[in-house]
Amino acid sequence: MPESRLARLQAAVLDLTLDADGEAFHADPAAWAQTRGLAHADGRALADRRDRWGLYRDLVRTALVEPLGDTFPITQTLLEDASAWPACVDAFLASRTVSSPYYRDVAPAFVAWLADSHWGLERWPFLLQLAHYEAVELEVLRHPDAPRPADLHAEPACERIAVLDPAARNLAYGFAVQVATVEAPEPPAACAWLLCHRDPEGAFRVLELTPHVSALLARSQEGQALGPALAELGADPDEAFTLLRDLRRRGAIQGFRPA
Amino acid sequence: MAFTGVGLGLRRPHMEQVAALDAAPVPFWEIAPENVVGQGGTRHRLVMGILERDAVLTHGLSMSMGGFDAWAPEVLDRLVAFLKATGTPWHSEHLCWSSFGGAHTHELLPMPFTREAARHAIARVKALQAKLPVPFLLENISYYAALGQPEMSERDFLLEVLEGADCGWLLDINNVYVNSVNHGFDPKVWLTGMPLHRVAQMHIAGHTWQEAEGVLLDTHGAPVVDPVVDLMAWVLPRIGRPVPVLLERDHEIPDLAVLLAERERLQSAYEGALTGVLHA
Ligand SMILES: [Fe+2]
Repeated sequence: MPESRLARLQAAVLDLTLDADGEAFHADPAAWAQTRGLAHADGRALADRRDRWGLYRDLVRTALVEPLGDTFPITQTLLEDASAWPACVDAFLASRTVSSPYYRDVAPAFVAWLADSHWGLERWPFLLQLAHYEAVELEVLRHPDAPRPADLHAEPACERIAVLDPAARNLAYGFAVQVATVEAPEPPAACAWLLCHRDPEGAFRVLELTPHVSALLARSQEGQALGPALAELGADPDEAFTLLRDLRRRGAIQGFRPA
Repeated sequence: MAFTGVGLGLRRPHMEQVAALDAAPVPFWEIAPENVVGQGGTRHRLVMGILERDAVLTHGLSMSMGGFDAWAPEVLDRLVAFLKATGTPWHSEHLCWSSFGGAHTHELLPMPFTREAARHAIARVKALQAKLPVPFLLENISYYAALGQPEMSERDFLLEVLEGADCGWLLDINNVYVNSVNHGFDPKVWLTGMPLHRVAQMHIAGHTWQEAEGVLLDTHGAPVVDPVVDLMAWVLPRIGRPVPVLLERDHEIPDLAVLLAERERLQSAYEGALTGVLHA
């Protein structure tokens, strides 16, 4: 229990706004306040204005839930159809996962919470991947700009690696999350290799890759040169290089540098 | 750069339109660093272009001045760099708390009106001020309930923190009005005797009547009502300086033209209120 009266009051307000059980406070505010170590007069003050603290509960929850609706329309629809969205939101808020002072971090915090808590994964094994994919667009669009490295080549070569644009994400999913829609929110169980990136105009693009190309890019990110990587993957260099040149033209790859 | 007159919050839906203009359609903008720093991409470059072209005041939303959570070094570094880059003459935050134990609510929660809370807020303001490259202003908030048993009024609490921290005051005139309705006091009596010499900037905004709860909500989601405009006009000559007034609009954001027309209306009231004062 926090030491100071000020900290105990703030901790109590956090409980009464974020805890899933909103009724506990309203049913018996005095008893509730006692369990939070509040002085009698402070507990009584909260109880006297329980309507207004209910309002604060709504305000806090609305502030934290709004970005979820904006970022995860498909996930939200899926769970709403199953009458599970309120329970999901309750569990997320009660976890107190939102810690960043940046409001834009609320949506990524939701994905991090799904990954940590495994909430709903038993019933919807694709849930985390679907939410992850829904959050990728903003992550890619808003990725901080960095100066282009000066030492990059325009051409791929066996002794070089492909350098992904820092905003690009080379993603492998076990479900075809890219075909899920608000109308049909359940992605089919089929592997998907997606390269999410910004095009030269800065717009969000998704490319479906073959597993070989996805693996090739992953190996480049780990520092393995294209030649040995292609040999291990059993892929044709000419075909791969044509594709890599195309990815560079599209802005997904920045260029090529010696491994 | 002299900041005066009525400015507007720079908001996402208007970004493209504002960026395409040759010059600012307002004397200055206000922007929250938290919504800009640490990002990139097309939209980000658009915002930075506007901030480079136009005069801007910065206004923070989430430093939880009355809270206990430490400010992450990278958050402070980004803030300081942003304040320097924009050339803002000061930076403001609310007298409230928003996070506790590492959990952020992204809401402006009221401080207990106690001496302990005042001491704590004063120390936090001084600590942040010491890290910022520009003077710091504290803004009075709308509050819907006192947190715990008060030892003083909200007015005296604000007064104690402003004096103790020896900082500037961002006087949100709509918040004074909203509190006066919700808690039943005369806003002019409330303002009388307050340290108006500390006011460096004002906020003005619209609010919403919440029928179910019987409370005025500080939503920034409607046009400014006449009594709030009148209160601004009443206090300006008492401040005695043409401090900048910022029109806040965060919800139900209308077309830029609608907000610019509202700004014009406020600008007229602003100039009318200061006419005698400035030419005397
Ligand atoms: Fe304000």
